[in-house]
Amino acid sequence: MRARSGQLMLILVFAVLGLMVTAQFRTEQRLAEVLPYRRVEELAAALKTAESERDLLRQEVGLLRSQLADTLASESAMWMALDDELRKLRIMAGVEEVTGPGVLVVMEDSTRPSTWSEDPNAYLIHDDDVLKVVNELRASGAEAISINGQRLTSLSEIRCTGPTISINGTRVAPPLTILAIGDPHTLETGLRMRGGVADQLGLWGIEVRIKREDVLVIPAFAGALTWQYARVVGGAKQ
Amino acid sequence: MTLLLTLMGLVGGILLGWNIPLRISSLVARYLSVAILAGLDSVLGGARAELEGDFDGLVFGTGFFANTLLAVGFTYVGDTIGVELYLAAVVALGIRIFDNLGALRRILLQRYVKRGY
Repeated sequence: MRARSGQLMLILVFAVLGLMVTAQFRTEQRLAEVLPYRRVEELAAALKTAESERDLLRQEVGLLRSQLADTLASESAMWMALDDELRKLRIMAGVEEVTGPGVLVVMEDSTRPSTWSEDPNAYLIHDDDVLKVVNELRASGAEAISINGQRLTSLSEIRCTGPTISINGTRVAPPLTILAIGDPHTLETGLRMRGGVADQLGLWGIEVRIKREDVLVIPAFAGALTWQYARVVGGAKQ
Repeated sequence: MTLLLTLMGLVGGILLGWNIPLRISSLVARYLSVAILAGLDSVLGGARAELEGDFDGLVFGTGFFANTLLAVGFTYVGDTIGVELYLAAVVALGIRIFDNLGALRRILLQRYVKRGY
């Protein structure tokens, strides 16, 4: 009786051992297939193709735009008034490179050494800090604004994307150079107002350098403006 | 006879493990690895006892399951209190496995040498 129970135990023990080893072996193989780094590589490749595609499309946008300009220029003087109107609208839409006086604002992350008792996040530039500056510039009558070469249009977003900020779907990182065309004096005083944006950010050591410029060049919006949903109300006259 | 039984058990277990659709998360896999180490230790200890002549099936079987569960429990406790106790289990079991292997080798060598002369 004792011997038989021992034999049974033997079978059971080895069966369990075999089961565990096999299960573990299969799991390790499966894990090796879905190892995260492989996923990262795939995503990096996808990003690369998407980015090269975007660059191609950007070139195409430039080409088409220059064609459009050619066509417009060759039209007769009858179109001059329309052309003028169009120019204004294009400046407003941000698809035209513009130049004029204004201010150059440079925002940089705080260089103050962080201490353990304080949230290091407070010393970094966030999307809402940029939004505040832009809002102040607009309130002070800025006519065109760009951030690190990204022209702000009526549809531009300024949004947190992890360590960077997304503007016009492009990632930008500090230091941020904000160009604004408008009355230099008004723009500067707007930002430097007591208790204003520069003051508040200065509390956290975030540097906001403001410089008046006589001639600034603000680039055009580089992407394509498309409307999928918005329609003009009141007749489809074109 | 004993060898046949062990082989039967082992093959049965491997076939079972290969054919049932087990999906083990990487978290559980860690426990399983410690359990396997404990199991291997027990099996080697059993083999050693068999060669030394004091093998007992019941002691062997209970030892196997108790050690396995203990090792898993150890790991679990370590995980809950944030200490990598499973490393301790791996080291301790590894040392014991080598110990048992050394004893097995010595016994087998002695037998071989005795038979030779």
